[in-house]
Amino acid sequence: MDTELSAPNIQLKSGSNLEKLLRAGEFVVCGEMSPPQSVDSGSIAKKCSYFKGYVDAVNLTDNQTAIVRMSSVVSSYLALSGDVEPIMQLTCRDRNRLAMQSDILGAYALGIRNILCLTGDHQKFGNHPDAKGVFDLDAIQVVQMVKKMRDEKQFLCGEEMKQEPRMFIGAAANPCGEPFEMRILNLIKKAAAGADFIQTQPVFDVPGFERWMKVARDEGLDKEVFILAGVMPVRSVKALLYMKESVPGMRIAPEYVKRLEPITEKEAAMEEGVRIAVEIMQQLRQIQGIAGIHIMPVMWESITPRLVEEAGLLPRPEVGQ
Amino acid sequence: MSKASEAIAKFIQGRPRFHACATVAENMVKRPVFKCQDCGQCILSYTAFTCCMRCPKQMRNGPCGGTQEDGHCEVYPERHCIWWLIHKRAKWMGRTKKLARLQQPHDWRWEHTSAWLHVFAGELEPPSWGRE
Repeated sequence: MDTELSAPNIQLKSGSNLEKLLRAGEFVVCGEMSPPQSVDSGSIAKKCSYFKGYVDAVNLTDNQTAIVRMSSVVSSYLALSGDVEPIMQLTCRDRNRLAMQSDILGAYALGIRNILCLTGDHQKFGNHPDAKGVFDLDAIQVVQMVKKMRDEKQFLCGEEMKQEPRMFIGAAANPCGEPFEMRILNLIKKAAAGADFIQTQPVFDVPGFERWMKVARDEGLDKEVFILAGVMPVRSVKALLYMKESVPGMRIAPEYVKRLEPITEKEAAMEEGVRIAVEIMQQLRQIQGIAGIHIMPVMWESITPRLVEEAGLLPRPEVGQ
Repeated sequence: MSKASEAIAKFIQGRPRFHACATVAENMVKRPVFKCQDCGQCILSYTAFTCCMRCPKQMRNGPCGGTQEDGHCEVYPERHCIWWLIHKRAKWMGRTKKLARLQQPHDWRWEHTSAWLHVFAGELEPPSWGRE
């Protein structure tokens, strides 16, 4: 296990820009976009223009909230052609171990170098609640599998392959979820399974996140994996309350609700939402052990440049070849 | 496991009717006591004797992100998150360290087969009884 993650001349595992920046000790910024619910490849190209030059890599979600969208492998490839480095999300809900491995091989062949392994939302919450969920593996086992493919050149079954997919492996964490000790244990297990970076759920309670981060630091986890804290800009108090009601483990500081509640005008609420997101980004940046920010502008990708600029994270660093 | 028990277990496994009887016998104990889901690859001793295969996502390594604040499952809000229960019971039993083990992918060929026979046949690691 790496004791110093960003030591100079460290052997790169994947060679992705995201990895190079993190290893160089840069504070990275990631974005997130959802692929279209149609064959409209132009929407990805358009969204890429919001991210290009403003973030270092962008997550391409995999049928997020169990709603059918364009495949994350293909969307990641399209993002790559839009000059944006993709982080391909891969969930366990829709694929068994064979499909996952073949998608990973295909993704690597297309030039995708970052992967985020997730268990995935239950199909009950999506637009095909009558579907059969696969859940052959869980996220921790997928991390282990991708690591085995990369470092041991072996499929999950142990068979050797000629050329291995050299992926930079990510996983998710839920800092404010219940039970707290299990959340830390989950992070420990993901690090032990071989995750290189962790992206957290959006933070709306910075002191709560700090508590989690302190325990993570005490366990030495910030030295084992790069931890990127999630930030989500909200457009209205309704969106904020929806998150609180329907997303488990989403702790929201009452301060933000109080600030957004009295604003009735749509534009003004959006402005306040941006101010809150920028504040959270600046506060997160001060927390020891945080390697970067992961912005999740759900259906509001166009706000990313403003957030990054106002948080003082421009210009984005260049990577050496 | 001894050579004799291994031979007996393999003998039973080789005969579908005997194997079915063994599975029924195991289920008679494990269903009512642990709400066993008959995965055939038992890890009860690592999960505070609470069957994790009751999880709608059949998570074997810990909870997904869907545990609600009051410990209920987001998929079936009327039930407790099974990993919330496992964690609570593991704390009470002093078995939380066992939760840290990385559980390997499930062998689905073993579903609805006797886990005890797998243990006796030397195919599955025996339960980890010790507290910690």
